[in-house]
Amino acid sequence: MSIKTVSANPFSALGHFLIVSFKDIRSFSQLVGATLVQLFAHLPRKKETFQQLYFVANGSLWTIAFCVTFASIVTILESSFHMKIVIQNDSMVPGFASVLILRELGSVVTALLLTSRVGAGMAAEIGSMKVTEQIDALKMLGINPVRFLVVPRLIASTIGCVILSIIANMVCILAAMIVADQFLGYSIGLFLTAMRRFVDFQDIIFASIKAFCFGIVIPLMSCYFGFNCKSGADGVGRATTQSVVFASVAIIVLDFILSYTFSYFY
Amino acid sequence: MIQYKKLIKSFGTRTILKGIDLHIKAGEIVFILGTSGTGKSVLLKNTVGLMKPDSGEIWIDDENVTDFTEQEFLPVRKKCGMVFQHPALFDSLSIYENIAFGLRKHFSLPESEIKERVEQALSLVNLENVLAKRPGEISYGMQKRVSLARTVVLRPKVLLFDEPTTGLDPVTTNSVNSLIQNLSRKLNTTSMVVSHDMHCALKIADRIVVLDQGQIVEQGTPQELLRSQVPLVRDFLAEARDLL
Ligand SMILES: Nc1ncnc2c1ncn2[C@@H]1O[C@H](COP(=O)(O)OP(=O)(O)OP(=O)(O)O)[C@@H](O)[C@H]1O
Ligand SMILES: [Mg+2]
Repeated sequence: MSIKTVSANPFSALGHFLIVSFKDIRSFSQLVGATLVQLFAHLPRKKETFQQLYFVANGSLWTIAFCVTFASIVTILESSFHMKIVIQNDSMVPGFASVLILRELGSVVTALLLTSRVGAGMAAEIGSMKVTEQIDALKMLGINPVRFLVVPRLIASTIGCVILSIIANMVCILAAMIVADQFLGYSIGLFLTAMRRFVDFQDIIFASIKAFCFGIVIPLMSCYFGFNCKSGADGVGRATTQSVVFASVAIIVLDFILSYTFSYFY
Repeated sequence: MIQYKKLIKSFGTRTILKGIDLHIKAGEIVFILGTSGTGKSVLLKNTVGLMKPDSGEIWIDDENVTDFTEQEFLPVRKKCGMVFQHPALFDSLSIYENIAFGLRKHFSLPESEIKERVEQALSLVNLENVLAKRPGEISYGMQKRVSLARTVVLRPKVLLFDEPTTGLDPVTTNSVNSLIQNLSRKLNTTSMVVSHDMHCALKIADRIVVLDQGQIVEQGTPQELLRSQVPLVRDFLAEARDLL
């Protein structure tokens, strides 16, 4: 996933890129495979998993709540503004905003924030373990690094992402409700009635499925780039950046694929 | 005991080990000397499967381990302890837990015996009163000694040391060297010691192997090495003589 030597010949550059990408995809798949095997082969390490869950959930809660509140306020105000211009009234805004929040905003913003905080942290941690030979030391002591490091992070991040996205969705809806009540003239009761008409139970399920998938992607990317970290401090920095970039891109693409798939169920 | 046959290892287009042929006998202390970046660490890591050679063979105790899987390497790694160039201690565990880690994994010992062994291992490297500390709270030299203790406590038959004394004070360096010597004499441990320190090598090695740019340029007993005409060896010797 990186082109180190930019060749003058575009074909050889493309060839190089394809070979490097193919190798990366193959070793990423191997990591996913090994993680699945270890996930089901042994009971997870409880202490480490809880520590990671604490790191994922508790540490990110306030940042996420803060950010999604503003995202939600912007969403409802903008929707109202544009609806008023186009169809001269914004009566659909409460329902419209609720659907948008549940289907997209809550889980995607949560996942992207988690990527930049938790994903980066995990990649830096594992990357520096790699360059200081701690991963090799684990192997020498007969410990499987995937079981020891990846599995607890995977479980913690998946659970954490689902819980946080449920909280984020609630915070978003609450913020939208207050703004609608205070600035747009829709009482809380009206908002709830609109929500009941627009929002299905399956929206909440789908939002959780999305969060679940995003929660899987983040630690896998971090661990992958951490394990493949090159030596030196710049190696760790690079691994961290790459894990954030690739996880963010993966989340956006995955969001599209999942939304597209879910659209068959509406 | 350990044998390398035409071992070749490259990273991308750079060939680091260019056909290493070496036989290390049981109980021997072999020092591997060479300038920075010649592939000493790579050689040690290939031995225990932390890196895979491109071609050639590695034999340990009459077993060809070259194409072993991670699973098959487990008993090999139990037999061969490695002390890394970095201290490589686990940051999240206390010093005590770091050293007890392998004991807990490999042997089912009562806690009292674990404690005894940990303290014994620490005293071998001249450390005390650090059990409850975290790796981040002790100095680099102390971390390196803990890392030695963590490997030695498992009493492996083969010990691979990657620059065990780099960054240590002369007093501790001496005690680490006599530790290596004692392990070899008393427990018949085989040791491969990567080092820059010709002075120590001359003192305790049974055999010294000099690597340059991925190849063995000279090997022999300390006496034989003193008579070597290879320029790199003479440079290393000059360094050691200055110190004498
Ligand atoms: N994982 C790796 N990927 C790419 N190149 C590597 C890797 N590990 C080592 N190298 C390269 O192999 C060469 C030899 O490295 P090695 O660590 O064995 O050197 P060394 O002889 O131990 O040197 P030093 O005394 O500095 O530790 C170096 O040029 C290094 O850049
Ligand atoms: Mg080295």
